[in-house]
Amino acid sequence: MTTLQTASPPLRKFRRLGASENGLAVIALGLLGLLPIFVSGYPVYILPQYMLFGVMAMSLALLWGFGGILSIGQAGFFAIGGYIIGLCFKWIGIVNPAYAAVLIAPAVGAALAAVLGYFLFRAGVRAAYFVLVTLAISIIVEQVAVSQSQWTGGWNGMYIPRMSLTLGPALDVSLFDDAPMYYFVLAIVAVVYALLRWLLAGKFGKVLVGIRENEDRIISLGFDTSLYKATAFMISGALATLAGALYGTHAGFVSPSLAGVLFSTEVVVWVAIGGRASLLGALLAAIVVAWLSNYLSALVPKYWQLVIGVVFVAVIIYFKGGLAGAVARFGARFNAADGRDG
Amino acid sequence: MLSTAASVLIDATLLTFTLALASLGLAIIFGLIGVINMGHGAMLTLGAYITWYSMASGVPFVAAVLLAAGGVALVGLAFEHFIIRYFYDRPFDTLLITWGFFLVITEVIKIVFGTDIHNVPNPLPGALDLGFQEVPAYRTLLAGFTLVLILAIGLVFYRTGLGIKIRALTQNREMASLLGLDIGRTYKLVFVSGSFLAGLAGALISPMLSVDPYIGMVFLVRAFFVVIVGGIGQILGGTLIGSFLIGGSETFFALFSTQTFAQTVVFALAIIVLRFRPLGVLTSGSRS
Repeated sequence: MTTLQTASPPLRKFRRLGASENGLAVIALGLLGLLPIFVSGYPVYILPQYMLFGVMAMSLALLWGFGGILSIGQAGFFAIGGYIIGLCFKWIGIVNPAYAAVLIAPAVGAALAAVLGYFLFRAGVRAAYFVLVTLAISIIVEQVAVSQSQWTGGWNGMYIPRMSLTLGPALDVSLFDDAPMYYFVLAIVAVVYALLRWLLAGKFGKVLVGIRENEDRIISLGFDTSLYKATAFMISGALATLAGALYGTHAGFVSPSLAGVLFSTEVVVWVAIGGRASLLGALLAAIVVAWLSNYLSALVPKYWQLVIGVVFVAVIIYFKGGLAGAVARFGARFNAADGRDG
Repeated sequence: MLSTAASVLIDATLLTFTLALASLGLAIIFGLIGVINMGHGAMLTLGAYITWYSMASGVPFVAAVLLAAGGVALVGLAFEHFIIRYFYDRPFDTLLITWGFFLVITEVIKIVFGTDIHNVPNPLPGALDLGFQEVPAYRTLLAGFTLVLILAIGLVFYRTGLGIKIRALTQNREMASLLGLDIGRTYKLVFVSGSFLAGLAGALISPMLSVDPYIGMVFLVRAFFVVIVGGIGQILGGTLIGSFLIGGSETFFALFSTQTFAQTVVFALAIIVLRFRPLGVLTSGSRS
């Protein structure tokens, strides 16, 4: 199989600027951390949901931007997570059900993705076919959520209580208020970001990028590429499912449309706009675009989705690196003017 | 018992032809020029909407169907001319761009026609009475029409100069171009034909469904699996066989469970076929 995506120069330059991405991330997450001090009310309520969308976007950036494997079924995993936490609250009474869900959800997502990924990648299934399989996942999850209404509530959806943090036998911290929940989610986002950066900076990330650039060469170097691709999909599935579980308890409600193709597509759009090879780009684009969507879909409900679609096509055609790529290009030019490039 | 078997067979046959009709456009574009047209579903939807709108404005059914097919072919032409033709050598990008095309077309449909569910009146109500079962007349006619359509495409493909050119192109692009074949124009023709067939399929299927902006979505996945299971490039026989396996097993599983569950099982089976026979059930599986 020849590599279908080759990195454009801005993407490559951006990777050299990797070190400064960490700095930008600290600033961005720091600003998000300061926000509840100055603002209260709706933004503090809604931002954690967008940050969890950001986790889902990072899960896709790992897969697509670094591994060259596109999934348009991430929403399927996200919805599975949402339903799992809902069922945990229904069925588990002894320990903190949310803790169980936070363990079970990523485990289920990881298992599902690992089995499917290994099964398909082992046979060398083409990247393009894999996309359609993930689309099928999204549709299957939606249909199962609709039809198995005794568990999922069908079209009516499922209501989920807000979780609390059990820190000891007698210490239960409620996350019912917006600010504690906000910091809880922010902490998770920061941890996920740091772990992914660490993972991608190491051997795993290098092999993954190598697979994206030229899989045959990586195979000839003796790597089992199907194992790496399946692992990337497994991590991606686990993160999307975890994000979905936390989203479920934050939003208090999940319904089949959460698994829908539309939502899956939105994730792809966020990552494409933010820059598929940048975790921070994906995270921030998810937050900003989701916020803009919420704001503008109230203002110009009819045209907003159309704008998103047109922007998506434009990004694919003209700016493969997305916003992060553009920033990197600018940075590279700045460095070049300084006498050294990267 | 016998009549149950017969009625299952009839259901499966009708579904086979419906699926084949819905898959032809995708099969042609994918099989001949290697573009996985993720906008196929949106093209079906657009065809259905144009049919509904024309009929609501008093156009007779046959004319509405032709308008729909022609309209979708025009949209396909514009899309190919302004965007897709620059990306033929980057298959993964065409997949993303056609997915964007799906997004844009779906939103345009919503803006122009609204998001309400519409019904296209059945042009041929009534049923054929077979003694033990009634078969919807329209679906029977549609199955016959699909068969004729497939035969006609086969005729163009294997009995005309144009067919020879297209086959030459898929067999050896460089050599065909050295021999003076205009590749760009042939690719364009194939893409527009595929769009025309998608529009036609959407139009003809519309009386059997409620028309909403997302009806094409499930058909996209089903059509893709039909093409994979039947074998890429096996445009006529492969599409029929793929449709029969997908449609037949869907009918079979629906006997024991719900329609949605049957579809889920069939998707899962199709993924297994994709794994072991990535070139289709007819050819021996190998890496592609």
